[in-house]
Amino acid sequence: VIESLPARESPTTGAWERFEALYRSSRNDLFAYVMTLLRDRAAAEDVTAVAFERAYRRRRTFDRRRGEERAWLFGIARNAALDELRHRRRQAQLVVDPEAPATDPVTDEEAEVALRRTAVRSAVAQLPGSEREIIALKFHAGLSNAEIAKVLGVSESNAGTMLYRTMEKLRRACDATA
Amino acid sequence: MLRRDEFPLDPEIVSGLESIDATLTGEAVDPRHAELAELALLLAADRPVIEEGFARLLDQQVRERAFSSPSRARAAGARRKHPAVRRGRTRWWVWAPASAVAASLVAAVVIVAGESRGGSSNGGSAALAAPLMKAPASARRRETLGQGAATTPSTTTQMLAPIAPQHHSGAQSATSSAGASSPVPSPPSTGGAGVPAPLLQPPTGGRKVIQGAQLALTTAPQRVDQVSQEVYNVIGQQNGIVKASSVTANGGHGGYAQFQLSVPSSNLARTMAALSTLPFAHVSSRTDNTQDVTNDYRVNQQRLNDARALHTSLLKQLANATTQAQIESLKARIHDDEGAIAADESALRSLQRRVGYSQINLQINSGSIPVPLHHGGGFTLGKAAHDAGTVLTVAAGVALIVLAALVPVGLILALLWWVTRTARRRSRQQALDLA
Repeated sequence: VIESLPARESPTTGAWERFEALYRSSRNDLFAYVMTLLRDRAAAEDVTAVAFERAYRRRRTFDRRRGEERAWLFGIARNAALDELRHRRRQAQLVVDPEAPATDPVTDEEAEVALRRTAVRSAVAQLPGSEREIIALKFHAGLSNAEIAKVLGVSESNAGTMLYRTMEKLRRACDATA
Repeated sequence: MLRRDEFPLDPEIVSGLESIDATLTGEAVDPRHAELAELALLLAADRPVIEEGFARLLDQQVRERAFSSPSRARAAGARRKHPAVRRGRTRWWVWAPASAVAASLVAAVVIVAGESRGGSSNGGSAALAAPLMKAPASARRRETLGQGAATTPSTTTQMLAPIAPQHHSGAQSATSSAGASSPVPSPPSTGGAGVPAPLLQPPTGGRKVIQGAQLALTTAPQRVDQVSQEVYNVIGQQNGIVKASSVTANGGHGGYAQFQLSVPSSNLARTMAALSTLPFAHVSSRTDNTQDVTNDYRVNQQRLNDARALHTSLLKQLANATTQAQIESLKARIHDDEGAIAADESALRSLQRRVGYSQINLQINSGSIPVPLHHGGGFTLGKAAHDAGTVLTVAAGVALIVLAALVPVGLILALLWWVTRTARRRSRQQALDLA
């Protein structure tokens, strides 16, 4: 889906190239994370655009000693998404269920997988926002535990513990559903 | 460096996390964590997919570096977040300190320039004053007995440094009545601290002139003692006498001093010059008085000579007296004559003392001292260094004041920033928990 983006001639070509590489490697992951967090496609698209815009504007202030660019970008997206949630909470409670891909199971095995997928999706939807966020960061954005820790502002061991406990919680919820 | 919330993980948790990572990278998983691995696969497979239209739009925005919200319906929110609006923000934290430093320097230059102008105007009036000062004209020779005091010319020349000099009426009348005798050179003038005054020239030609002066100095409140000590030093160097003195210091908040000084008339000019150029003091006013007492002196001298001649004559008459009545009468006259001689001698000695020693009334007041613009010369490295030091000192003072005002404001702003940041973080966390 991602097209090759020609870099303009600019005195800050190095910074631009880094930003472009970051965009190419993170666009889909960022959208998936924000989408899981907000559960609203239109809002997720807005927040994704805003996150890249802010990252582009602040690209010169990025300090590599404070973490990798991906974690930095997801931190920006997280703040934008949480601001969107705050804004939404002030205006009206908008609850949009996760979109379910419309696929008709053909075999029993596919039906079984679809059933389990529905159970997992339902269990994720029941999670509190903070736990749903860590699932989104790990499985939808593809961040490492260290990057998750940077985005959330916690230690890596803390992030790992949170992830493991959330997974156990999900597993129990799925088992209960089954 | 370890974070505060860093802690060793439970081996079971470590094993589970490793299984999750292995599942996501397609590696073999411990059978104990098969359920966890399956759950991880289902979660990864349920990842939301970006729509192609939005992806193309985002690509275009990145290519053109012109970001905007894709949702027209949310245009209001988008305008709020539009980069064009944000880019208009100025980096006040960069410009504010530079502006403060620049303002301090400008204030320092203005203050120093203002002080320099004050010194210049003062010096200017002194310069104007000098040519206007007139010397005491020599008096006509009038040696007629009994007319001494009434006809003795006296001159008073007064100069106030900050204002135009003026002559006393006595001086004018004396000048108008002055004869064609040799004029006495001009008395000194002064332009303020550090400006040497022209020397007073003592009268010449054997005339008897009583000289006196009143001098008012201004110094910084904390310098009254120091300037008073300098006065003592000057009088000591000029072989003078401090007849009376009164120095009052109020711990740097005020203070004044008064002196009644007596110096040899031959040293009056040097004394006045030295007093007018005392360090840390500025001449606020100065009055020079002269009184030609040549006639008085000569009248007294003549009267004494006459009394002595009469005394000699009476002694001779007494030696030749034959009758007791003559003797008694001559003795009485001799006695009277001796009294007259003693009185004349005393008056003559007093006059000689007043001619030989000049009286100076000196007053030292505390106040602000104008900075002199020039010190009687052109541009020198020393003066430039002094001016530079003054500018830097004032600039440092202004900067210190600005800093004293900015530090509390900065602390308040920092506190507000911290409170706002904490509140926003909590608000975001609440929004996440409720999502």
